[in-house]
Amino acid sequence: MISRRRLLAATAGATLASPAIFGLNAVAQIRRGDELVVGIWGGAQERITRQHIVRPLEEKYGVKINYVLGGTPERRARAYQERGRPSFDLIYLNIFESRQAVRDGVTQAPAIDRVPNAKNLYESAKLGGYGVAFNPVTVVYDKRKGEVTSWKDLWKPEWKGRIAWPSYPGAQGTAALLMVAKLFGGSERAIDPGFAKIRELKPFAAIQGSQDQLYTMFDQGVADISIEFGSFTRSYAETRNPNIAIANPVEGQVIATNVACPTVGTKNQALVEAFIDLHLSEACQMQYARDIYYSPTVSGLNIPADLAPKLVLGADVNKLVDFDWDHVIAQQAAWTTRFNREIAG
Amino acid sequence: MNTAREKLAGMALAVPATLWLLVAFAAPMAIVLLLALQESPDPFAPISLTPSFAQFAAILGDGYYLETIASTILLGLGVTLAAATLGYPLALWLARLPAQWRPYAFGIVLIPLLTNVVVRSLGIVLLLSPDGLVNGLLTPLGLGRPQGWLFTHFAVGLALTQVFLPFMVLALYDSLVQADKRLDEAAASLGASRIRRFFAVTLPLSLPGLRAGLTIVFLLASTAYVSATILGGKKVWVAGMIVWQEALTNLNAPTAAAMAVIMLVWGIAFAVLAERVVRALTPWLQKAGAKPVALELPPELTRKLVALGDTAGGIVARVLLGLAIFLLIFPLTLVVVQSFNDVPQASVAGFRAFTFKWYAAAFDASTYLRDARNSFELALISMLIALSLALPAAFALVRAEFPGKSAVAAFWMLPLALPHVAIAVGMLRLLQWFIAIPPFWGLVMVHVVVILPFCISMLRTSVLQLDRSLEEAAASLGATRGLVFVTTILPNLAPGLAVAGILAFLISFGEVTVTSFLTTARMQTLPVRIYAEASFSLEPTVHAISALTIVGTVALLALVNRFVKLDRVWAR
Repeated sequence: MISRRRLLAATAGATLASPAIFGLNAVAQIRRGDELVVGIWGGAQERITRQHIVRPLEEKYGVKINYVLGGTPERRARAYQERGRPSFDLIYLNIFESRQAVRDGVTQAPAIDRVPNAKNLYESAKLGGYGVAFNPVTVVYDKRKGEVTSWKDLWKPEWKGRIAWPSYPGAQGTAALLMVAKLFGGSERAIDPGFAKIRELKPFAAIQGSQDQLYTMFDQGVADISIEFGSFTRSYAETRNPNIAIANPVEGQVIATNVACPTVGTKNQALVEAFIDLHLSEACQMQYARDIYYSPTVSGLNIPADLAPKLVLGADVNKLVDFDWDHVIAQQAAWTTRFNREIAG
Repeated sequence: MNTAREKLAGMALAVPATLWLLVAFAAPMAIVLLLALQESPDPFAPISLTPSFAQFAAILGDGYYLETIASTILLGLGVTLAAATLGYPLALWLARLPAQWRPYAFGIVLIPLLTNVVVRSLGIVLLLSPDGLVNGLLTPLGLGRPQGWLFTHFAVGLALTQVFLPFMVLALYDSLVQADKRLDEAAASLGASRIRRFFAVTLPLSLPGLRAGLTIVFLLASTAYVSATILGGKKVWVAGMIVWQEALTNLNAPTAAAMAVIMLVWGIAFAVLAERVVRALTPWLQKAGAKPVALELPPELTRKLVALGDTAGGIVARVLLGLAIFLLIFPLTLVVVQSFNDVPQASVAGFRAFTFKWYAAAFDASTYLRDARNSFELALISMLIALSLALPAAFALVRAEFPGKSAVAAFWMLPLALPHVAIAVGMLRLLQWFIAIPPFWGLVMVHVVVILPFCISMLRTSVLQLDRSLEEAAASLGATRGLVFVTTILPNLAPGLAVAGILAFLISFGEVTVTSFLTTARMQTLPVRIYAEASFSLEPTVHAISALTIVGTVALLALVNRFVKLDRVWAR
């Protein structure tokens, strides 16, 4: 029998020796019994990816794919903490987090030649990993309580005390903060007007930390207005709550991209790339578009005429409000502290 | 046998538990102190040995942090007061219950205590949601809130009271049953009314227990963050959440460590203060010559108060007792009901239709089963290690005399008295340094620290109760020491070991506070999974799993009750 000490020593040896064989892992094949750990959002995204990616891969290769569901800040922090010996193989990040993660040596830059479907990616979806969906952020509201045509309508009296502000950091909270700063004379480099104007909206009905939380608040009448992904909210409004409308503000919607990011040091390189390849497949991309109105990041898909107006396609992607994401992510810790003090508290 | 050898043997018995705590408790605490004295928050910066007070200066010079600290302490004090007010009638009721009913009544305290904090917080969510019971009762009175009571300090305070009330009850119960009943009878025979006896006899005699209860509830309530995250919806901030956010989301260990050290300081300050006050109020327990402090009211006022107490006291006590039992049990009931509720999302409280689909989903998702297995293995291994460390430690405490024994005994109990988030922050960094330690064993190390004090104090009682004449008889018949241990001591200790083991298992199985710092994507426990889902998106699948853990807890406690009546489990 192996003593515990021996076992520990053996594990220690294996762990310490592992950096030396990273090179081997990168070209390794998919083996039966391999286990992949993927950090991704829950809800519809989980359902779609399980159907179009997990099930086919598990059937074809005899592998096991485990999901860890949650928001990006937690995933990102975990991956940074485990830099070099990740417990995740693949994490999904937002546009502003993914590029910095590549530079920090936490996640890999895309390898277009190893992922067949990646050759059709739009250029803007090849940064910081593999962009898998465009989904802009905008104002969403209960249309029985008022109308929204501009981001500035948030300051109208009918919404006072009825706003569920999105928590920061997170795609929605980040977009909201940057947009408000921009509207009132600031920018990502002059964020003060953003914080000041958001403070004016207090008291908030709630701080929402995820789409699911927000939709529950809408269902229960806790709040009437928030800032969310228009895509997902459209599907929520069509299936569960017809009173909710998605604004198309004159100032535009803020770009957001879901990015698939393989971790540096994953032991399952080939399986990770097979996973991403299926995420970029036509079937998966179209399911996203039909179910939750996420816009495809690969060109050359046949989009039905009734669906096209609800998506952001081709040249329209470039019209979304964009920011200097490298600067945004560098400020994240400081802005988080400020957000907790000035907005949430 | 000479005494030098006996001393040596006693010390040898104390070594395993001490060593474990040095490595898995003292070392992380030292790391926390070291981290708190770092100047640079950069996660990849080398550790500097030159102490800097930059982190403390930053926290104490910042209005937001000070406000959070103040509101955390106030919340802790409020919860402590509420727990004492609700816990006292409950402890008194338990202590005066006929012996045959006590074990069942004890379930009211032990079942919530050993059900994990996330599950209980989810019950409070249901209680306070817009269509929940509290709003339903208050709305006809014109006091309802359309948005419900979630995301308020009240919600967090109520959840914390629910979570920590059992500790107060157990501490009070202890000293209430030990109090000399003849004093109460004497007072009654001299014509003192119930209320007078309560304030002149019962309450003063229970002050040491009250002190223990106040101290532990305040410590736990002012360092908790799990319930605050679930019930506060990021609108209510407590110091523990700042530690979590700085350590995990912002990767700023020094600030997290400094905040943990500040929590440590107020915990110790409160304990010292409580000790001083109770000491002043219990002169009969002090050495001769201690000056009694007595609260003297004007006789007229006293008479009026007693009259008021005699008429209203009984009703107030009964109402409080009812509230306490309701608060402990009802949220768990709600969780079970919700697990059969056919609603789209878990925080919808009204019952729509009966369904088994959440149970189907729970068993269908292999992640839950895998996490449950992780939790099970973790709890089982931690429990076995803790028992094998605690058993020699208990013998050392009861039967050995050696220099430094009382210091060692105090050290063993220390993990109970220091905030667990501090251990978590320190261990997180240790595991980053010693990456050869697999995450599972890192968790085992900490879980043993968390349950060891409970195991030692329970086994100590069992060892005390051993009948030494049996061992002497066996020895006189020629049995060696080893044989005596196996044939005489172990069988007699079996019930005690089983009870300590089951309780340690349950505490470890439900642990979230430290565990959520140390889990990885490949090594997650069931309560941490439920916690993560509760703070992101919530389906009643979580309630189905929670209901199963409640049922498991009840079953294990029923098993405990066969070995040792539940009301004796916690007796010291």
